Amino acid sequence: MNRWLLRRAASAMGTFLLACTLLFFLMRLTPGDPLLRLSEDRPMSPEALANLRAHYGLDQPVTTQFVAFVGGVLRGDLGASIEHGGRPVVSLLRERLPASLLLGATTLLLNFSLGIAIGAWQARHAGRRSERWVDLAGLATASAPSFWVAIVLAWAFGTELRWFPVAFMYDPLLPADASPLAHVIDYLRHLVLPAATLTIVTVGVTARYQRATMLEALAMAPVRAARARGLTESRVRWRHAWPNALGPMLALFGLWLPIVVSGSVFVESVFAWPGLGTLAAEALASRDYPVLMGTAILIAATVVAASFFADLAHRWVDPRLRTT
Amino acid sequence: MTDSLGVPGALPREPSGRAGVLLLLALGAAVLLLPPFLPDPRAQPDLVAGVLLPPGWDHPLGTDHLSRDVFARLVYGGRVSLAVSLGAALLAVTLGAGVGLVAGYAGGRTDAVLMRVVDAALAVPRLILLLLVVALLERIPLWGLILAIGATGWLGTSRLVRAETMRLRTMEFVRAASALGAGHLRILLRHLAPNVAGPLVVATTLAAGDVMLLEAGLSYLGLGVQAPTPSWGNMIFDAKPYLVTAPWVAVAPGIAILLGVFAVNLVGESLGQRFGGHHR
Amino acid sequence: MPRPSTLPVVFALAFAAPAAPAAQSPSGTLVIAVAREAQSPVPTLWRGDQANREISDLLFLRLASLGPALGTTDDSSFVPQLAHRWKRVDGRTLRFELDPRARWHDGTPVTPRDVVFGFDRARDPKLSPQVALLLQRIESVTATGKDRVTIRFRERYPEQMYDATYHAPPLPAHLLAAMPPDSVAGSEFAAHPVGNGPYTFGRRVAGQSLELLANPTFFLGTPGPARVIFLLAGDAETRANLLLSGKADAVDNIYTLPNPARLERHPDFQYLSVPTLSVGYANLNHRDPSDPSRLHPLFSHPDLRRALVLALNREQIAGSAYGPATRVPSAPVSVVLERAVKAPPPLPFDTAEARRLLARTGWRDTDGDGTIDRGGRPLTFSLMVPAPVAARRLMASQMQEAWRRLGIAVELEVVEPGLYHQRRAEGRYDAEMAGATQDPTPSGLSQSWSCGAIGAGNVARYCNPRFDSLLARAGRSPSDAPALWRRAVAVLAEDVPAIFLAAQVFVVPVHRRFVGVVVRPDSPWADVWRWRLAPGAALPRDRP
Repeated sequence: MNRWLLRRAASAMGTFLLACTLLFFLMRLTPGDPLLRLSEDRPMSPEALANLRAHYGLDQPVTTQFVAFVGGVLRGDLGASIEHGGRPVVSLLRERLPASLLLGATTLLLNFSLGIAIGAWQARHAGRRSERWVDLAGLATASAPSFWVAIVLAWAFGTELRWFPVAFMYDPLLPADASPLAHVIDYLRHLVLPAATLTIVTVGVTARYQRATMLEALAMAPVRAARARGLTESRVRWRHAWPNALGPMLALFGLWLPIVVSGSVFVESVFAWPGLGTLAAEALASRDYPVLMGTAILIAATVVAASFFADLAHRWVDPRLRTT
Repeated sequence: MTDSLGVPGALPREPSGRAGVLLLLALGAAVLLLPPFLPDPRAQPDLVAGVLLPPGWDHPLGTDHLSRDVFARLVYGGRVSLAVSLGAALLAVTLGAGVGLVAGYAGGRTDAVLMRVVDAALAVPRLILLLLVVALLERIPLWGLILAIGATGWLGTSRLVRAETMRLRTMEFVRAASALGAGHLRILLRHLAPNVAGPLVVATTLAAGDVMLLEAGLSYLGLGVQAPTPSWGNMIFDAKPYLVTAPWVAVAPGIAILLGVFAVNLVGESLGQRFGGHHR
Repeated sequence: MPRPSTLPVVFALAFAAPAAPAAQSPSGTLVIAVAREAQSPVPTLWRGDQANREISDLLFLRLASLGPALGTTDDSSFVPQLAHRWKRVDGRTLRFELDPRARWHDGTPVTPRDVVFGFDRARDPKLSPQVALLLQRIESVTATGKDRVTIRFRERYPEQMYDATYHAPPLPAHLLAAMPPDSVAGSEFAAHPVGNGPYTFGRRVAGQSLELLANPTFFLGTPGPARVIFLLAGDAETRANLLLSGKADAVDNIYTLPNPARLERHPDFQYLSVPTLSVGYANLNHRDPSDPSRLHPLFSHPDLRRALVLALNREQIAGSAYGPATRVPSAPVSVVLERAVKAPPPLPFDTAEARRLLARTGWRDTDGDGTIDRGGRPLTFSLMVPAPVAARRLMASQMQEAWRRLGIAVELEVVEPGLYHQRRAEGRYDAEMAGATQDPTPSGLSQSWSCGAIGAGNVARYCNPRFDSLLARAGRSPSDAPALWRRAVAVLAEDVPAIFLAAQVFVVPVHRRFVGVVVRPDSPWADVWRWRLAPGAALPRDRP
C-alpha cells in the first residue's frame, strides 16, 4: 500500500509538472498580446511599448521566460499581473479562492446529497412511470445551458420577487459592525441563486450515475445472496448494495471536484460571484499571461489532486483493488 | 446484465431505444426535408415591426431580434448542429479509442508515457486547448469546428478504453489469439476493438449531446458557427438577452437540443446494454 | 428593435453651472453599477482606461475642467478647479494661480510643487507612456511663487489650455516625492489614494466594490451623497439585474445592457440623455491584409466604399444597437466633438444609388451565382467582430444582410477579443467593427486617421496627405484652427475612409431618489457630488 501510495504520488507530481509545461507553451502559441489591451484606448509609442515588454520580460526568448517562470513557481511566486496594475498573481488568487471554494463546496454538497438520494430512489423504482419522468427531468436540467438557468432564477427570485440578492458574495453595504449572525445570513442569502443554478445543471448527472451504479450493485452476487438470506430490503440496499456503488461515485466526485476551483464562468459572471472562473476569463480576454497561468495551474493542481484522492479513496472502499 | 443480443442491425428491442432511434430519425428527416418549404433563415424582412414577434400563423415559432423566422432557423440550424455534434463525437471517440487501445494493449512504457500526457492534458482547462485550435486555424470553417471539438474531447474516452483493454488483454481469447500467432495489429483490430465497442458507443452518444451545448458556449470564443448560418448553439447564444421578455426565441433551440440529447441518450443506453452492461 | 415612439428621457442639460454649495451635510448612499474595475484610480497610474479615470476624477481635481461646451481651444471656456484663475502670459506661456482653499485629503494645502510633481510623473515616458505622448508639446512646468505655476509650451498652438489641464492632474508631492516612481503602483498610496476632490477613498474590495466617502471640507461645496459605492458587474446582465432589483441607483448607459427595451420606461428611474465622445464604425482596411505594401484590392476604391455606405440604413442599424438618440455621422466625429467641428451631413441610405454605383464601376453578377463580380473576382470580404461586444455583433448581422441583398457576400468573423486586438493591430483583416472614445479635441483625430499614425492608432491604415496637412496647419495657427479642422473633417467625409455608423448618445438611468442629477459627457460621475438625496427617499442603505 505504501509503495503504491508513493508511486501514485510521484506520478501525480509528474503529471502536474507536465501540465504546467504544456500550459506555458500552449499559451505562448495562442495569438494575442497582453500589451495591446493596455494601449487600446490611447496609442502608445513603439518605444513605450518596448519598455513595457521588457518590464514584463515579454521580450525574452520563450525558453528564457519558461525558466524564469518555473523558478518563480518553485519559489511560490507566480509573477505580477499585467492587467491588474502589477499586483502579484498569488495575492489575486488568494483573494478569489475563498469565493470559489464556498460556492464549489456548497454545490458539491447539494449535488451529491440530492443526486444520491434521487438516484437511489430511481434505482428502487426503476422502470416506473414516475421514475421515467424523474429521469427525463434530470436529463433536461443537465442539458440546459447554465446561463439560462442563471438568468431565469435571477429574474424570478431576484428582480421580480426580490427574495434573494442577484449579485456578489455578500452585501457591500452591510455595516462592518453588524452582528456575526447577520453576516452569516447575508452570505447564505447571496449563495442561494448561484448554488441553486450550479446544482440544477449538475444534479441530473449525479443522479443518473447513482441510479446506474446502484442497479449494477443490486445485481451482484453478494447482494443477491443477502437478499436470499431474508434481510430487509432497506438493509440490503444501504448495507450491501450501496457500498459497492460507492466506488464509481467516488470517481465521479473526483471529476466534479475541479468545479470547486474553476466554478462555472457563466454562473460566476451572471451573479458577479468574485471567483476564479471570471478572473481566468478576464485574463484570457486580455491575455494577462501571469494571471491566466496562475489560475490554470491552480485548476491543474486540483484536477491532479482530485484524481489522486479519488484513487486513494476508491482503494480504501474497494478492497479488491488493493491486490492489483 | 441479462440482455438479448438481438439480430445485428435490427432496431433495439427495448421500447426506449426504439423511441430514441425514431426520434433521431424524425429530427434528421425534419432538417433534411423541410427546408424547401421554409423562408430564408438569413432574411431580415422587417427590422422595425417584425422583431421578437410571438409564435403565430406566419411564424410558427415567432421571430428573433433581427426579425428572422425562428422555425426556419431551427430547421436549418439542426443540419449544422447535428452534423457538428455527430462528427465531433465520432472524431473524439475514434482518437480516444485509438490511443486507449494502444496504451492498454502495449502497457509498460508506452502506456505510461501516453497516459501521463493524457492526464496532463486533462488537467489543462479545455478552454485553453480550444483557444490553441483557434490560433492554429484562425478562420474556422465547419470542419475546423468539428476538428477543434473532436481533437480536444478524446482524453476521457482514451482512459475508459485503456481500462477496458487492460481488463480484456488478460482474457483467454486474447491469449489464445496471441498463442496462435496473430500479429499485434490483428489482435488490436479483430479481437480487442470489437469488445470495447460497448462503452465506446455509450461514450459517443453522450459526447454528441455535450457538443451541442458546448457549441453555444463556444460562440464566446468566436469558435462557434458563424453568422448568418444558424446553429442551435448560436441561436441560444444570440437569444440570451431576450430570455425573459421573448422566451420563445431562446426556448425553441433549447428544446431542440434537449430532444437531440434525449434521443441520443436513449439510443446510447440501450446500445450500451446490448453490448454488455456498461453504463458509463 | 422596436423603436419606442416616446422615450421618457429627461433632456437635462448635461451641465449645470456650478451650483451654490448647499449648506446641508452629506447624506445618503449612491450606488453605481460599473462594467470595469478601477484598479488604480490615480493619475499617471491610469493605464489609459476609462474605469480608472472615472473614479480618479472624483478623487483628484485638475487645475481647471472643461466647460459646459467642452471647448478645448478657448482659455476662458474652462471652469476653475484647483486653480481659481489663470492668465495667458504670451503665445507660449500660461500662468495658473491655485485656489488657496484647496487641500489634500490629509489636510495639507495643494501647492505649486504638487502641480510640477504631477507633470513630472505624467511626462515621464517610462512611467506614463500614453500620457507622455500627449504632452510632448509642453516644454516646462515651474513653480513661480507661493501659489503660482507657469507652464511653457514648445510652440504656439490652439489647445494649450487643454494640454495644461486635462491629462495631468496634480499629485501630492509631500506623500510621493520620497517614493521611487516604480514602487508607487504597489504602495500604500496606490491602495488608499489621498486626493483633493469631493470624495475621499473609503475601501476597495477587489473584484467587487469600491467605496468613496464625502469630503465634508471640500472647498468647492459640500458633496450631496455621503457615500458613493461603485459595484463591479462585468456582465451586462448583472448590471441590469442590480438596477432592476433596486440594489443600484445608476448605470452608465442603458444601451450597454441586454435588451434595453425593458429599461426604456421604468417608473423608478429618470433618464438623462448624455452626449458622448464615443463613436462606432466599421473600419475598412486600406492596405492588403497579406501585404501591407500594397493597397487593398477592394477598399482602396472610393466608389466601392461609398456604395457600401449607401447600401446601409445606418440610422436603423445604429439605433437598434445604441438607442434612437444616436446620430449617424459622416466622419469620425462624436456628438461632443461635433460642437467644435461641424461635419457635413452623412450620405443618404439609398440602395438604388448603391446599385447604380456598383454597376457603373463594373460590378455585375456575370455568372449568376447571386454574388456580383468584376474581372472574375466576386465581391466578397470578411467583417471581423469582437465576440463580447453585443452591439457590434447586432450591427454586423444587419450590415451583412443588407449587403447580401446587393449581391455582396460578406463573411462575419466573430472572434475572441485577444485575437481581435492582435489582428487589428497587425492589420490582418478586411473590415472590422470598431469603437473609439475620442479626445474632446479635434487634433486628436490625427491619432487614428493620419498617415503618420499607421502602425500605431491608425488601424485602417488610411492615408490622405491633404487631411494631414490641414490638421497640421490647424495646429500651427490658433485663429484659423476651427475653419481648418472643419475642412479636414470634410475631407474625411468626402473620402469615406470607413463606414461611420454611430455618434453615441448615452441614456443614463438614475433612480428618482436623487435630484439635481447631472452627468458629464467627458466623465459621467465627476459631478455626483452635486446630486442630492430627495427628501423622504431614504432607504435603509442611506443611514449613516
